[in-house]
Amino acid sequence: MRRYGPAVLLLLTGAAILRISLFSELYLRYVQAGLRPYLVASGCLLVLLAVAAAVVGRPEQEPHAEQRQHAEHGEHAGRDQQREHGEHDESGDDSHAHDQHGGHHSPRVAWLLTLPALALLLFPPPALGSYSAEREAGQRAAQGIGHFPALPAGNPVELTLAEFGSRAVYDSGRSLAGRTVRLTGFVTRDDGTWYVTRLLVACCAADATTSKVEIRDADAPPADAWVTVTGTWRPKGELGTDEAWPPVLDAVAVRRIAQPANPYEKR
Amino acid sequence: MQNQRTVGDGLRVVIRALVYAVLGGAALLAIATVASVLGPMLALDLYTPPVAAWWTVFTAIAVQGVPFLLLGTIVSAAIGALVPEKVFSRLLPRNQALAVPVAGAAGVVLPGCECASVPVAGSLMRRGVAPAAALAFLLSAPAINPVVLVATSVAFPGQPEMVLARLVASLATAVVMGWLWARFGRDEWLRPPKRHTDPTATGLRAFTAGLQHDFLHAGGFLVLGAAAAATFNIVVPRSVLDLFTGSPWLSVLLLALLAVVLCVCSEADAFVAASLSGFSPTARLAFMVVGPMVDLKLIALQAGTFGRSFAVRFSSVTWVVAVLSSVLVGWWLL
Repeated sequence: MRRYGPAVLLLLTGAAILRISLFSELYLRYVQAGLRPYLVASGCLLVLLAVAAAVVGRPEQEPHAEQRQHAEHGEHAGRDQQREHGEHDESGDDSHAHDQHGGHHSPRVAWLLTLPALALLLFPPPALGSYSAEREAGQRAAQGIGHFPALPAGNPVELTLAEFGSRAVYDSGRSLAGRTVRLTGFVTRDDGTWYVTRLLVACCAADATTSKVEIRDADAPPADAWVTVTGTWRPKGELGTDEAWPPVLDAVAVRRIAQPANPYEKR
Repeated sequence: MQNQRTVGDGLRVVIRALVYAVLGGAALLAIATVASVLGPMLALDLYTPPVAAWWTVFTAIAVQGVPFLLLGTIVSAAIGALVPEKVFSRLLPRNQALAVPVAGAAGVVLPGCECASVPVAGSLMRRGVAPAAALAFLLSAPAINPVVLVATSVAFPGQPEMVLARLVASLATAVVMGWLWARFGRDEWLRPPKRHTDPTATGLRAFTAGLQHDFLHAGGFLVLGAAAAATFNIVVPRSVLDLFTGSPWLSVLLLALLAVVLCVCSEADAFVAASLSGFSPTARLAFMVVGPMVDLKLIALQAGTFGRSFAVRFSSVTWVVAVLSSVLVGWWLL
């Protein structure tokens, strides 16, 4: 086990990375889409390294082979004893070699890698949801009031929650007025009102921030359910002030959907 | 005589095996029964939303770190196996006071985040680069490389002074830290990174062996740091900080602390800084200068590579220098 420790660790880590990046889209729960090629490359490299580690482990045995030959030259021992002796030598020599070089076995701290690796292989942790969203106040990207470019054509027009929020709070051109928009996110609730919420991830789930839109004129689905909401913007508060936040949507239709492959909005 | 002994021995072995099998089997069965009944109950009880969020953040930081760590260990293994020792002593000025800024500016060439720089700095020291110069490189590389600067300009559109301020403040911190180490640093604090590979091995063999060892070693500490960061992430909600947005001085210190705790990788921290809208530009600059140089993940990685007594001293002084330098640069440029 000691000799194959590094190989096992590298293989586990590589397999875990490949499982979430190459064989499924689970990686989107943890990191941004752009990281995929690097994840696949690192996964492959780790597996290759594991193979190399298993193979390179072998030349170390050369001195043991010599030892065994030595033992075979001793005529006095019985055959069974001889084999036992040989084995003893091997393990003894093994640890000795390890102590000497100090490099060919895995450092003990490396076994911590099994934690995330096994978690990813066996029970991939879920995407962040309403628990994280409710702990953080909804954030709006700071920007000045200004004239936004026209909304794309389409009725309804698909918008990210972040885009809807910044247009609702900062657009002096009021590009949202009179348009039907469609927003996608999960449900969070706050006594009486409910929100369509989405987490924004810049790099990995550790930096998730929240954007949310208050929904009126529709019954609240259970928390954490994924929905698309179609509706129109209801202006509120003065542009750029705290009263304008969070933005409000008068819902026309609320539809339950499955969780999208990428649970986060890209910043 | 000999034959009898073998039969007796054989019998004894068989009986012993039988006893072990029965006892062990019974024990295993008992454990399996208890675990299969209690396990799911316990697991469901323990798998509350905060715990689930902890696992997600923990694995996310680890997954995010692996490609960069691998890049760093590849570069470091390549330096160890392929670059002869003379090269660095020829490239870097003999005089340490001059070598430090050169090494700091050389940080531009390593396009990665902070996970990559620790193993590279370790291998530079192994190749005979003066520790002061290697440490300046360690600090500057994740902060001033082109990828990070471009990300910063994307996160702060129309504010090129922010990019400049980040470059200047990070480079200044790295160089000052290098000089401080050259003047006050003691070699006994720094556990010099050992040569892990067989000294006789060369070329590809040394490269693979070094790569394996460095990756596994640093990977373990990355996991440790990820666990610490995830814990802070879940225990201390970021909204607590909003209470302190009022005071400009307090907010600089707070964001500098937040950078240590959050462990956002340097390629993304500009976006996080941009989203911290309630804070002054100087405070956000401090967040971006401290983040790539001192954070929990990095402290764990440094402790693993250079020893704990080094990591604690070096990180705390770096934090102070980084805050001072971002306050000065922020006052000058922002």
